[in-house]
Amino acid sequence: MRTVVAGATSPATAGAAGNANGEWPAEGRRIHSCVAKGSSMKPLIEVNQISFSYGQGPSQSVAAFTDVSLRVYPGEYVAVIGQNGSGKSTLAKHLNGILTPTRGDVWVAGMNTKDASCKQQIRRCVGMVFQSPDNQLVATIVEDDVAFGLENLGVPPGEMQERIDEALEAVGMSEYRHRPPHFLSGGQKQRVAIAGILAMRPDCLVLDEATSMLDSFGRAEILAVVRRLNQQGMAIVTITHHMSEVAEADRVLVMHEGRVALEGTPRELFAHPDQLEALGLDVPEASRVAQQVHARIPAFRRDAISVEEVVAEVDRLAGSGGERRHG
Amino acid sequence: MAGDFELTRNITIGQYLPTGSVIHRMDPRLKLLAAALWILSISLCHTYLGNVAGLCVCLALFALARIPLSYGLSGLKPAIPFILILAILQLLFYGNGYGPSGQVYFHWGILRITSASVRVVVVSTLRFVEIIFAVSVLTLSTSITELTHGVEGLLRPLGRMKVPVHAFALIVTIAVRFVPTFAMEMEKMMKAQASRGAEFGTGSWWNIARRTRDVFPLIIPLFNTALVRAEELALAMEARGYVPGQARTAYRRYRAGGRDIVMFLAGMALSAALVFAPFPF
Ligand SMILES: Nc1ncnc2c1ncn2[C@@H]1O[C@H](COP(=O)(O)OP(=O)(O)OP(=O)(O)O)[C@@H](O)[C@H]1O
Ligand SMILES: [Mg+2]
Repeated sequence: MRTVVAGATSPATAGAAGNANGEWPAEGRRIHSCVAKGSSMKPLIEVNQISFSYGQGPSQSVAAFTDVSLRVYPGEYVAVIGQNGSGKSTLAKHLNGILTPTRGDVWVAGMNTKDASCKQQIRRCVGMVFQSPDNQLVATIVEDDVAFGLENLGVPPGEMQERIDEALEAVGMSEYRHRPPHFLSGGQKQRVAIAGILAMRPDCLVLDEATSMLDSFGRAEILAVVRRLNQQGMAIVTITHHMSEVAEADRVLVMHEGRVALEGTPRELFAHPDQLEALGLDVPEASRVAQQVHARIPAFRRDAISVEEVVAEVDRLAGSGGERRHG
Repeated sequence: MAGDFELTRNITIGQYLPTGSVIHRMDPRLKLLAAALWILSISLCHTYLGNVAGLCVCLALFALARIPLSYGLSGLKPAIPFILILAILQLLFYGNGYGPSGQVYFHWGILRITSASVRVVVVSTLRFVEIIFAVSVLTLSTSITELTHGVEGLLRPLGRMKVPVHAFALIVTIAVRFVPTFAMEMEKMMKAQASRGAEFGTGSWWNIARRTRDVFPLIIPLFNTALVRAEELALAMEARGYVPGQARTAYRRYRAGGRDIVMFLAGMALSAALVFAPFPF
């Protein structure tokens, strides 16, 4: 795990910026993948030491964060955690150019989010799902809602049907396509919201506390969908307060008072509950159980972070214990 | 009393009832146009018989659309106080305002009930019911999406004159989309207020003043959440690439077929008959 020091990341975007216009036509409305798959070394999203303040004028501006750097590679699963008001949502809104940094730059697939002519491509490339299932559906019928983003992108009508079918299929909502959204459960609405993004065929999905208003069943539905998308190669950036969701990520970013305080794999992070606690955060239940059992039974690995891992560990110990007894 | 909180159940606007009938499948633009003509001719028809015939046609529309009549009646219920007040006022004062025409049935002070005022009362009440039925069939058989697309399609010529027809259609869609959401919100707030001792739904349904006063404590919080919702919705729309005024493509396209045109012509014929047929009384 590395404790991030401000200014640690070196900018490496000059090249990406140079070919931006060649690869991603500024006003072209044709939809194609922003990033050539295979060039996995090139980050999909590159956030370079950005700072952002709400409000104009130095007198009443509120600094949401300072000197934040982040890279998201194609197919990666990144979790962002932090206390309320630590700047997570503000950071998320920078990833698709809804907000642009006061200082520093955000590059999405080689496009600067400050470049107004790339806006549409950036929105297509990085989709975003918000917290409230009710406040992001615009249409009165599910499939029309999924079509909304496509209509905005100027996708030809002939192509829409296929993309809508595909998106609804991916979230398991095909049978609800003709229903009005207000008859759906929260988890179902949120899946429709995800479908609306998927239809745009993004390379990265940003979820800003997308599960926080759902019950545990709804949350499990969304997590399953997200996991599957990630396995199919979509990059995921998820903001969450649920530590059990964090355990699914490849990499975790901990925000604290507008800075990236910690960064590492979930396992690295959860190995130091005291550090997280200092930042007002928790470790998942499973991790806590593993650590407390480890304190009593040293053979039990202390770095289990999910229920499955704890169960596997119990099985392992029970199994080897049994062997010892027999042997 | 629990029933008084269940607002979502009582809202017919935007409550599409898909039955797949011929009315449902009609091209929304032609359906809208036919409905508008029909409503216009209802308001022009001033004979008893004509209005009874109009009512029969409206009832037949329910059958044709395979929508239970109870839906139409539930749409009628909230309008009853208005119909009654209007009827009473017309009954009492119409005979005066328009001079003593026809036979005078009753005369006391400024109150004068004549055969003309009775006709006005009966006809306007019938008209009201017919129009509510016609609108109910329209909204129950047409999803809001189709309705807005229909309006958009009909207004398209205005688009060439730089009238933001599409933006207007989107506003309507979103407004309607949020009607059930706000109804549920209001339900929640009413329950919350009721649990702290506020009284809702204890006034009778005809006691409009009382019921309106009951709603006051809900208005500010409702506005508040509406603004929050609007902000979040705008954000979500932006995240999905919406730019106001941009050229967009449309997922739904409508093409009026032969059957649509036949149905539209039938509607036109009925409307014309209602206005021009020589009903004897
Ligand atoms: N629209 C705004 N105008 C002014 N200040 C804002 C605005 N939105 C957020 N802030 C401020 O910016 C800071 C970061 O907010 P942000 O919403 O990004 O936090 P967060 O980590 O997402 O919190 P939460 O966990 O509650 O969602 C907070 O201090 C907040 O008060
Ligand atoms: Mg937030």
